[in-house]
Amino acid sequence: MDLSLLAQLTVSGIVVGSAYALLGVSFGIIYATTKIFHLAHAAAYAGAAYAAVWASNSLGLPFLAALVVGLAAGVLLGLVTEILFYRPMRKRNATLLTIFLVSLGISVAFPNLLQIVFGPDNQTLPRPDNPTIAIGSVTASRHDVVTVLVAWTLITLVATFVVKTRFGRSITAMRTNPTMAEAVGIDSKLVYTVVFVIGSLLVAVAGLLFTTKGVATPTMGLAPTLTGFIAAFLGGIGSQWGAALGGLLLGLLSSWSALFLQADYGPVVVFGAMFLILLVRPQGLLGKAAA
Amino acid sequence: MSYYADVTISILILMTLGVSLNLLLGYAGRVSMAHAIFFGIGGFAAARLTLPTVDELGGVATAGLQTGASWHWFPALIAAMVIAFLAALLISIPAVRLVRGEYLILLTLAFQLVSNQLMGVLDSVTGGPYGLSGVPPIGFGDTILIRPEQFIWVMLVAAVLAIAACWGIGESPFGRLLKGLREHDSAVASLGKNPVVPELLAFSVSAAIAGGVGALAAFYYGSVVPSNYTLTYSIFIISVVVLGGLGNLWGTVVGAIVLGSLEPLLREVVGDSAIPWQAVIYGAALVIMMRLRPEGILPEGFGPGRLIGRRRGGRSQLVPTEQEALDRLLHVDPGTDPDAPPIVEVFDLQKSFGGLTAVNGASFSLQRGQVTALIGPNGAGKTTIFNMICGTLPADSGRVHLRGADVTGKPAYDLAKKGLARSFQDVRVFQRLTALENVAMGVQDQPGESFARLLLTPFAVRKAERRVKQKALDCLALLGIAERAHDRVNDLSYGDQKLVAIARLLATDCDVLLLDEPTSGVDPASVEKVISGIGRLRDLGHTVCLVEHSVHFVQRLADRAVFLDQGTVIAEGTVDELMERRELADLYFGT
Repeated sequence: MDLSLLAQLTVSGIVVGSAYALLGVSFGIIYATTKIFHLAHAAAYAGAAYAAVWASNSLGLPFLAALVVGLAAGVLLGLVTEILFYRPMRKRNATLLTIFLVSLGISVAFPNLLQIVFGPDNQTLPRPDNPTIAIGSVTASRHDVVTVLVAWTLITLVATFVVKTRFGRSITAMRTNPTMAEAVGIDSKLVYTVVFVIGSLLVAVAGLLFTTKGVATPTMGLAPTLTGFIAAFLGGIGSQWGAALGGLLLGLLSSWSALFLQADYGPVVVFGAMFLILLVRPQGLLGKAAA
Repeated sequence: MSYYADVTISILILMTLGVSLNLLLGYAGRVSMAHAIFFGIGGFAAARLTLPTVDELGGVATAGLQTGASWHWFPALIAAMVIAFLAALLISIPAVRLVRGEYLILLTLAFQLVSNQLMGVLDSVTGGPYGLSGVPPIGFGDTILIRPEQFIWVMLVAAVLAIAACWGIGESPFGRLLKGLREHDSAVASLGKNPVVPELLAFSVSAAIAGGVGALAAFYYGSVVPSNYTLTYSIFIISVVVLGGLGNLWGTVVGAIVLGSLEPLLREVVGDSAIPWQAVIYGAALVIMMRLRPEGILPEGFGPGRLIGRRRGGRSQLVPTEQEALDRLLHVDPGTDPDAPPIVEVFDLQKSFGGLTAVNGASFSLQRGQVTALIGPNGAGKTTIFNMICGTLPADSGRVHLRGADVTGKPAYDLAKKGLARSFQDVRVFQRLTALENVAMGVQDQPGESFARLLLTPFAVRKAERRVKQKALDCLALLGIAERAHDRVNDLSYGDQKLVAIARLLATDCDVLLLDEPTSGVDPASVEKVISGIGRLRDLGHTVCLVEHSVHFVQRLADRAVFLDQGTVIAEGTVDELMERRELADLYFGT
């Protein structure tokens, strides 16, 4: 086996996997706490990217300011979905299926709206140079390094927040027993709002990391959202580190699969991994078995 | 003319796909995000089977010429359905362990995306991104049905057949089982029915119909292209079902007509932007509909019959009197042998939750034909013991015997088959079904609940169904609520819902019935009905065990009581005997 190829694939696997880990934590915290299969997460991902492109190209804002606009747009989209749609439905005791269908509707309408407004073409965000860094035969770009650093810093922050702070523990309480949590005075609305802010912020970061390297397209949010689902289920619902590990594993697997498969088959490997985990260990790698 | 026929065909395709998905999404309440893939699998299978062989094309495989097995269209259609059926069964294997809906969403979503990608990559099977073309059209003798005005009739027949099939399945006892699983799979299991198999079948049958439509579409369009089987189309089909009304096939017909004519109409107005506009409109319609009218345009149970004033389920059966019901229902022989062992024996059950010992070596027995109450202060371990007997909670150690056989840890549906069934404290009646349908779900060994017998012996199924309905009505009559038989359970008071749950238990013919707090949360007038209902269970010879807080209730009903404290049995006897013992009364009332 070509060792330098393996090393290179491992490095790119870690880079891709870090972004997946971010997506996994982002979807995982929303799903675990609210039990909503939040497919509209894709809107926050694409919305953040388009807002940054728009701020940069139409408003002429500098790079970093455009990124801030993107983050704000992503968070706003997540919040609007929660406050305008999910919350009133929960109040009327809507089933999780109907809430999911709302989410589905948003995830269909939003990218098509983007297409009508911005056109179907690729959108590019003006960006700083991206020099390549080489260590021996292995190379990575500065963007890759930033991706890894940003992803794991945010994941550590969120995981620490949930475990160590008082508010974080009330998120865990809502997740494990909502009725009891409300009985001891935890404000479910506030917890849900915070969870949507955290989740949407992380997914917006992932969307911007992608757009600063590639291009924005109307349907760009769907595949990463699905990756986030798979990462979270793979690692174990309710565990931040589990979801992060799931994402990292997915990145490495799809990268390593290039050793023996055509690149087109990468998604098949990911799907196969998920199928296997669901069969053998349905609670996920780091999840606790249901009582 | 051809244009309108062509549009109508595409609407009929959408309608047939929607109707088949409604079986899963509406009746079984499970989401499949991959319906377009099964549509595609059928298309590719049919194309590969009917395309000419290499020999027929002159013996040499030339690039660009696609070959197949040169089958007749009809067997190819059947094969396409079978292949789609098997594909669905295969991907739902993990669902055997995870019946929870979200996993099916995840699984089918991933399956949709991966399969669609594979369709574009596996050149040797699917022909790559441009798919397969030159699929021969359907023909009868020398007549080839290729023009839209001709093929429309084929598609119309297919749509009618699919609607009839889905109606037959959905409105049968099998469909009733699906609706039950949609609401409470634990309750269905507690009635002695396998909670997994019907859902897998619903998923696979729905996929098979989609596969059949896929084959027909391949014959009509002459080509199959991966870009026709995208997630977007899967979601479009879901929208048709949801907007039309979940669980209402007529709704799907309406939904398909409305959404199917959207694109042709938009094309007149906005030209090529029709496709994104269509998606924005149906996506927004989905959101608005779920917010304002989640039951869809035509709600479940609303059909042409309702319009002309016929009530659902009809009223053909006369309401039996309590005495008639008592005569007809199964009487359990309590046995005359005084040396017969107790019907249920519990030996030394133990259960800890973390450091907390909830049950610490409880042993007692239930006597045939008696009402036994488990009583004791809060936290005595009553419900824990109850759940361990019912098989919903695994015991750390100890055994449970039923009629002398060890049944420790057997799943709930197994126990119900052996004659032990339970009710739930939170009732778990099927809210959107009628009282009669709820109770009918309790009846054991219904041929109509088996998918195979539904297909093979439809007349026997109908005959059996009349018997099932009669029995369900008898059970309701015995509990004094037969006049509410055709009302939906969520229109009944909580007390009546508890009575429905007891009637459902009675319908199982299980001779050991475990009732979890049958009067909690019930108004005083209904408590009287529950008490007389449980008295009826005893009259029929059933053995009853109940967990109950109300001493008044226990004193009036129970023959014996088992007094628990801190996870162990500290006394057994008649209720009056136990309550006369001062130390027990103090424990119980906490004075």
